[in-house]
Amino acid sequence: MNRITKIISYITLIILILTFNFFLPRVMPGDPLSFLTGSPTMDMPIVLDEEMRAELLAYYGLDKPLLQQFYDYMLGILHGDLGWSIYFGAPVSDILTGALKWTLLLVGTATAIYIVLGIVLGAISAWNRGSKRDVELLTFVLSISSFPSFFLGMLFIILLGVNLSFFPISGAQTPFAEYSTPFEAALDTFRHLLLPAMTLVIAHIGGIYLLMRNSMLNVLGEDYILTARAKGLSEWYIMHKHAMKNALLPIITMIALRVGFLISGTIFVETVFAYPGVGRLLYDAVTYRDYPLLQGAFLIITLVIITANFVADMTYAHLDPRVKHE
Amino acid sequence: MRRIIAFLKEYRNSMPGLMGLGIMVFFMVSAIFAPFVAPYDPHQMYKPLEHPNSDHLLGTNDIGQDILSELIYGSRVSLFIAFFVSAVSCIIGTALGLLSGYYERMGFFLMRIVDGFLAIPRLPLIIVIVAFLRPSIWNLIFIFILFGWPFTARIIRSEVLSLRNRPYVDAARMLGARDFYILGRHILPNVVPLIIVQLIIEARHVILAESGLSFLGLGDPTAKSWGMILHYAFEYPTIFISEIWKWWMLPPGLCITFTILSLMFISYSLEELINPRLRGVTRV
Repeated sequence: MNRITKIISYITLIILILTFNFFLPRVMPGDPLSFLTGSPTMDMPIVLDEEMRAELLAYYGLDKPLLQQFYDYMLGILHGDLGWSIYFGAPVSDILTGALKWTLLLVGTATAIYIVLGIVLGAISAWNRGSKRDVELLTFVLSISSFPSFFLGMLFIILLGVNLSFFPISGAQTPFAEYSTPFEAALDTFRHLLLPAMTLVIAHIGGIYLLMRNSMLNVLGEDYILTARAKGLSEWYIMHKHAMKNALLPIITMIALRVGFLISGTIFVETVFAYPGVGRLLYDAVTYRDYPLLQGAFLIITLVIITANFVADMTYAHLDPRVKHE
Repeated sequence: MRRIIAFLKEYRNSMPGLMGLGIMVFFMVSAIFAPFVAPYDPHQMYKPLEHPNSDHLLGTNDIGQDILSELIYGSRVSLFIAFFVSAVSCIIGTALGLLSGYYERMGFFLMRIVDGFLAIPRLPLIIVIVAFLRPSIWNLIFIFILFGWPFTARIIRSEVLSLRNRPYVDAARMLGARDFYILGRHILPNVVPLIIVQLIIEARHVILAESGLSFLGLGDPTAKSWGMILHYAFEYPTIFISEIWKWWMLPPGLCITFTILSLMFISYSLEELINPRLRGVTRV
């Protein structure tokens, strides 16, 4: 597949998701205005009479033909209009842009640690295959990554946050804090970032570790490794120049897929740590049945994941000369 | 039969595999015999927020339900969802994988659909759909199956593609065997190990997804899965600053963790058996 078909398929995917987002509230059972009246479990359900209903339907353009609605929706998205959040009483797009920077900070930090750590551990394990160190590392990594992220986060909060009072347990910065220097602000942000990022990395590390270990084991069975040994190259050199590079190439797109899982994981981690990102907004939206916000948050998270996959795809084409020249 | 015994003999050598199997058997037994093992009915209410004592080994929750009984019945809900979903999505995935590997044109179209499913991030999508639907076990199961089969279909297909052109398949075809006979008799038996691994992996995904959704408050409120128990514990205001987390939050979390761990160990050991290269024996 060359670059242009790839780009086209990504654009198709995004249109597919936007279409899905448009139809979801419309095909689901129930009243199209239920997002306004809230869930029946809400404290004060709003009751609409016929006249108000008609007026509201007209106001939201829900009485227009479906195609017209779809056109308006797409046009709105292109203008950054994602609707109005009932719970926060503000435009969804404003709320999301405020939250996105925190999510990107968290995801960026976690992804960087995750990829490097996973690859290094996987390579070490494969290099010592069958030995005691490999078995121990394998058991250890599989064990810690069996913790679901939300449970691990709760444990961290109790053990490291509350009991040791070593880490702040919620938020992205200390509320009402006044910083004298930017450095102080950065430090505060970092302290808040550490636990959520750690949780994300630990809960997901198993996938990338196993991927790298398996790919590396396959490479180590290849003849050119034997040749490199026969040439008398140092173990360190073989591991870095011959084994790791070749083991990484086939799994880059799969790594990108795992990064997608990690980004999805922020929904749980941000919820547990009350981290003010998009994932936490998704949780709030679910709790308060704030459907416009829910759809907006879903859209943003999905777009972030797809962008990550896209970047990986493009990098892959750069790294593998066989793909490049095709 | 002999192959199965040889297989089991090999499996016995894998320490993590045995550990995983042991944990799984433990949870399975408690799920199957829940009414006999659990001391109370998990919906019956007693004195709320009791600390562990001789009557309630793990105390009671905020509305007075016995937590140990909740956990035991919870294993039923969690494991049922996990294995039911993974079984059905493996059956669908295998059937479509076999057909799309064998018939090229059909395979092409089916794989485009699979591509679409795999490219869309699964978890956020499921969360949004479930939030719009009424939360019930069968809705969850339906959605997990809907997003579960493409993985299996893709893996089975690529295996079928390599099996399809083996000499013995050609031979069968020349002897006049029909397509379905070849698929059922010659190709299916060869992908069974893959299906089993896929079954375990999918069960793990479902356990994780189900407990995650329940944790976010999207589970079935009438069916107490481990994730639901954890959800109610997390929603309780003083869970982080009092002692109660030790018997209310920790046990369901550990149940989920150990189930995932056991499935991870089992699938890893099986994969090692199927793909000898992973066993770390250097090929010459």
